[in-house]
Amino acid sequence: MDLVRLAWKNIWRNRRRTIITLAAIAFSIMLVQALHNLSFGVYAGMVDSGVRAGSGHIAVYRNNYLESRDEILHFRDGSLIDDISQIDGVEQVLPRLYIPALAQSSRESRGVLLIGVDPDRERQVNPFLKTLPADGMIRSTDSRDAVIGARLLDELQIRPGQKFVVTAQNEDGSLHSELLRVRGVVNSGMKDIDSSLILVGRGRAALLTGNSGSVHELAVILDDAGREAEVHRQVAAKLSKDQDILAVSWEEAMPNLANAIKLDYASQKFIFMIILLIVAIGVVNTLLMSVMERMREFGVILALGSKPMTLRCMIMLEAIILGLLAAAIGTVLGSLATWYLVAVGVDLADLVPETLEFGGVVFDPVMRASWDPVWMFRIAVYVVCLTLLAAAYPAIKAGRTTPVEGMRHH
Amino acid sequence: MPLIELQNVSKIYRLGNQEIPALTGVSLTFEAGEFAVLAGPSGSGKTTALNLIGCLDHPTSGQVVVNGLDLGTASKRALADFRLQNIGFIFQSYNLIPVLTAAENAEFTLMLQKIPKPERRAKVRKLFVDLGIDGLENRRPADLSGGQQQRVAIARAMAADPHVILADEPTANLDSHTAEELLELMRRLNREKGTTFIFSSHDDRVIAQARRVIHLQDGCLADDVTISK
Repeated sequence: MDLVRLAWKNIWRNRRRTIITLAAIAFSIMLVQALHNLSFGVYAGMVDSGVRAGSGHIAVYRNNYLESRDEILHFRDGSLIDDISQIDGVEQVLPRLYIPALAQSSRESRGVLLIGVDPDRERQVNPFLKTLPADGMIRSTDSRDAVIGARLLDELQIRPGQKFVVTAQNEDGSLHSELLRVRGVVNSGMKDIDSSLILVGRGRAALLTGNSGSVHELAVILDDAGREAEVHRQVAAKLSKDQDILAVSWEEAMPNLANAIKLDYASQKFIFMIILLIVAIGVVNTLLMSVMERMREFGVILALGSKPMTLRCMIMLEAIILGLLAAAIGTVLGSLATWYLVAVGVDLADLVPETLEFGGVVFDPVMRASWDPVWMFRIAVYVVCLTLLAAAYPAIKAGRTTPVEGMRHH
Repeated sequence: MPLIELQNVSKIYRLGNQEIPALTGVSLTFEAGEFAVLAGPSGSGKTTALNLIGCLDHPTSGQVVVNGLDLGTASKRALADFRLQNIGFIFQSYNLIPVLTAAENAEFTLMLQKIPKPERRAKVRKLFVDLGIDGLENRRPADLSGGQQQRVAIARAMAADPHVILADEPTANLDSHTAEELLELMRRLNREKGTTFIFSSHDDRVIAQARRVIHLQDGCLADDVTISK
């Protein structure tokens, strides 16, 4: 404890320099923590939007469907939807049938992706459908109602309420057509989706392909994304091996979004490392200056009978105390910044286009942070370790001096 | 057996390509309880001799034996331990640690010896009374006069009850009156506790107080006079 007290007193020997060093380290911690939490919140928001309109947090497919997207790789859902819905943590299970088709109006025709859905379940979850008025939504699984992308509507030169025909290939190879009526219009902001999306009841979609009771995808939506691994295991346990179906995470089902997030975060991590490196260099400089100023004193301490290791320990203790103080202050500041970014966020509406896409998901221009306390703690620990590392050279230098050499310093 | 023995000791400093002989073939012995001074002009080798006796440096040739330990063969760690247990230092410019209080400075060697705090405090309190600086325990060195600082340094040197105290020009930065007071104080400690005092000094006041005066000239032993007092 005596050495700790001495180290504490030594830190405040040059108050101004210590305060400046503390401020630099604390500010860098605040910056890194707040930026990470902001990214964490933005990514979480994008994943949430993406999985609810896309594959779900966990998706169930036939083996090889993800790679080939071959429409013959469907499976019978039977009681699976109910079984999976009963798992603790599952908010909703969305059955989907994906059918490449041709949409024709009296004036135009376009290649489309027809998706057969359960409208009641889908409306609760899918962000594309949540904004639709009640009279703009598909009424039942068998109805001829269709929700269509806004661009596709324009390209087919039809209006809400008007009819159009979709044609797809049946399982037996024959072409089959169905007459549909535009019930609602989706404007997702993503060109690819708005120019190819048609949603219909899964019953009506099954008539096109002749495989009633089958789906290509069960999108499992969780109420807490943090429980994905645990729920994934339980979902996988419920899958019949006879049908050759498997459960995959959203990262596998939506690789564009997953990779976009990974790439973005990797470049951020690189910037974080640069920030921390600059801080570490500053700390080395500060500690080295502090050591060089005290060489005479170290010579005296060695003369009095202290061992070189005691001197080194004292300097390392000074670094630890500095690091811990800075970590505490920095984390408080980082928490305040995060609190602001959670409550208010950063509005980039003036800086980004309205329909900016990121990894296949529309980017929300209001960026809000999300708390990641584990990572915040980790950063604080890294900085303390970095401060210790920065003290290594000054400590070695101090320990190498002899009493006579030290006392010759002025 | 003498407490300290220098046997044909030489010390050469190397500065780049130059060799500077600081001591040449010096042989000396000191008995326990001596009050001796190494006298001579600047550059005569007084501080070098003191550093060798104090295990702060190694001789280039010859042997230095203090309290039975041959300093030439001991490791850095062993020398540090030896200094801690056996030798006290008083420096010309006091060399107190500025961030510590007077009491904490005096306790420093006891702290290095891992003596418990209450015991350290009690010992230092008594020393401060003996040295006439009680009441100054919580002052920082910057708030003390030169004489007071040197008394704290004496307390630090005495605290671990060393066999020998080495004082390098202890009165150089003090006025006459304060210097006389401190010298009298050290003489009293020498008489009452039997602690060996070896000074290096060119100050006549110090030389006048010593019972043995060893003159060094250009790194060689010029004279060794014992004065009975």
